[in-house]
Amino acid sequence: MNDMAIVLRSVRIRLLASSVTVAMVAIAVALLLVLLSLREAASQAFRRGTGNIHLLVSADASPLVGVLNGLFYANAPANPIVWTKYEEIKNSFPWQWAIPTQLGDSFRGNPVMATTPEFLSNFEPVNGQPFQYASGRAFATDFQVVAGSQAASEHGLTVGQKIVFAHGTGASREGGHQHAGHPYEVVGILKTTGSAHDRALFTNLQSTWIVHAEDRRESGEHAAHEEATTGAHEEESLTAADLTDSDKLVTGILLRLPTRPGSDASASIAAQFDRLRRDMAITVAQPAQQIGRLMAIVGDIDWLFLAMAVVVLVSSAISIMLAMVASMELRRRQVAVLRVLGASAWRVFALAITESTLIGLIGAILGALLAFGGCAIASTVLAQRIGITVAGTIDLRSASFVVAGAVALAALAGVVPAIKSYRTPVARHLRPIA
Amino acid sequence: MVDASHSIRGDILGIEMTGVQFSYRRGFTLSVPAFQVGVGEHVLLAGSSGSGKSTLLHLIAGIENASAGEIRIRGTNILGLHGARRDTFRGKNIGMIFQTFNLLQGFTALENVMMALMLAGYSTADQHSRGQTALQRLGIKDPHSPVEMLSVGQQQRVAVARAVAGEPCVVLADEPTASLDPANARAAIDLIKEAARAAGAALIVTSHDPSLREVFERIVDVSQFAQTEVAQ
Repeated sequence: MNDMAIVLRSVRIRLLASSVTVAMVAIAVALLLVLLSLREAASQAFRRGTGNIHLLVSADASPLVGVLNGLFYANAPANPIVWTKYEEIKNSFPWQWAIPTQLGDSFRGNPVMATTPEFLSNFEPVNGQPFQYASGRAFATDFQVVAGSQAASEHGLTVGQKIVFAHGTGASREGGHQHAGHPYEVVGILKTTGSAHDRALFTNLQSTWIVHAEDRRESGEHAAHEEATTGAHEEESLTAADLTDSDKLVTGILLRLPTRPGSDASASIAAQFDRLRRDMAITVAQPAQQIGRLMAIVGDIDWLFLAMAVVVLVSSAISIMLAMVASMELRRRQVAVLRVLGASAWRVFALAITESTLIGLIGAILGALLAFGGCAIASTVLAQRIGITVAGTIDLRSASFVVAGAVALAALAGVVPAIKSYRTPVARHLRPIA
Repeated sequence: MVDASHSIRGDILGIEMTGVQFSYRRGFTLSVPAFQVGVGEHVLLAGSSGSGKSTLLHLIAGIENASAGEIRIRGTNILGLHGARRDTFRGKNIGMIFQTFNLLQGFTALENVMMALMLAGYSTADQHSRGQTALQRLGIKDPHSPVEMLSVGQQQRVAVARAVAGEPCVVLADEPTASLDPANARAAIDLIKEAARAAGAALIVTSHDPSLREVFERIVDVSQFAQTEVAQ
């Protein structure tokens, strides 16, 4: 027999109340850990995807919008950049690379990015991790497409399959104008990167330009010949040679400055950023910085979530206290007997604190296991079904911090019943219950 | 028949109260000028309900605080001990038995006895062997059954075992027979007396049951110590 045995038995005697309070602590701890993990996963998800680009040029209203549209496929950028502007920027500085991109089409709600093969070979969605192919290869000629892992799994795409894109993004899965005359052949499927690019499909610029030029000319002809009733119009396919400068539009330019091997930083980023910014026709963004700003805004919101989780944790500590105080009448007799048998007031005080701490500890450990298990299951499901890498990122440091916090709160919750135990008038509580 | 200044042979007494004053807020005062119990002596504290029998036991056990005087247990003035020291002293030297036994629910018979031995400072091994022995002597066949599963008679035996297992120098029994029928009451008193004798302890039993008078060689009426203030 020792003090711990007394505490354990006391928890066991009040099994129902103990279990309920343990469950409350466990849920609060799990909730807090999952929120922490989601917060980390969300910021990770945003930090992935900007990859190894230094500057992003767009014609969007603001740099943040430019980044969200151009790298996270939030919307199709409304304003294009003409090809001559791209060439002007490309030739204005010895960039390591300058990759043009064009967004606007979609495949069943998934964005289609028209770009150059350099996007797949030089751009790294996660710094140091270039695109890799699960099957197939990069697009080499017109009307070939490479699918991101999530886009491929969502629509069951395989190499060799022919698909048709729709004009516009997202909103209508089946509706909207289909570029039915120009099927694309799937030539490659990418491996998962854990970034927004997994949702996208990639093709070359020329295909997109041809499709859109045809669209424009078709609607132009329709307007011109509406009254002429010239009968059936024989559709002729355009070729690259037919494209004019007004057809060659892009919506974004990804820029990377030369760096020393092994380094991601370049001393002249700030200078080039300032230089390009003087051009009022374009918007220049440093993606990493913009994402940092976004996380600062979102950060305030998830502090709110964290605060809520902490409130749940505190209320679970209060429930420990209430459960112990509620059973105080029974406890007082036990305390009185222990005192008569030779336990000091401090010893019974310590017994109460130990009991609440133990409940907190069991609850916190269960909660942590729940959170780890839940995250592992959730990340497996997410990886299998959506293809997004939201790893079970409960890091041990924050987990131990939360567990320690929960235990400390539980110990604190024991203070009130401990004081009541300490002050229990022994003689009064030894008398027979009337 | 009332005998408060009973003379005791030998130097050190089991219990020696001198000039003890204790006041309730309600205007009830217990005043014990001198009261002694010899080592191994058995005393019945008689008196009607509310006469202060339990209070006197609580004073001797040090769980109520006298405002004046000395209460010596085997020579140690318990009023001179404070806090944990007094609690430890009580655990080692005084065994208590209650009318409703006050066994710890949810613990086995053996655990109840071991708990007392633990608080009296015995090692786990000693707790076990002494506990087993005490329960065996008192006829508890299944020391591992939870106390709430035992019959009333068995529970009383466990309570007695708990009080005497640590071989205290004083055993205090507060109305131990109040909830028993006369036949069982007599048996219970015999059991307690026998256990106290085996432990070599001074025994004080409180009871308002006149039938117990014949069992004790010495009977002290507590009402001689009780004073009620005139203004009611």
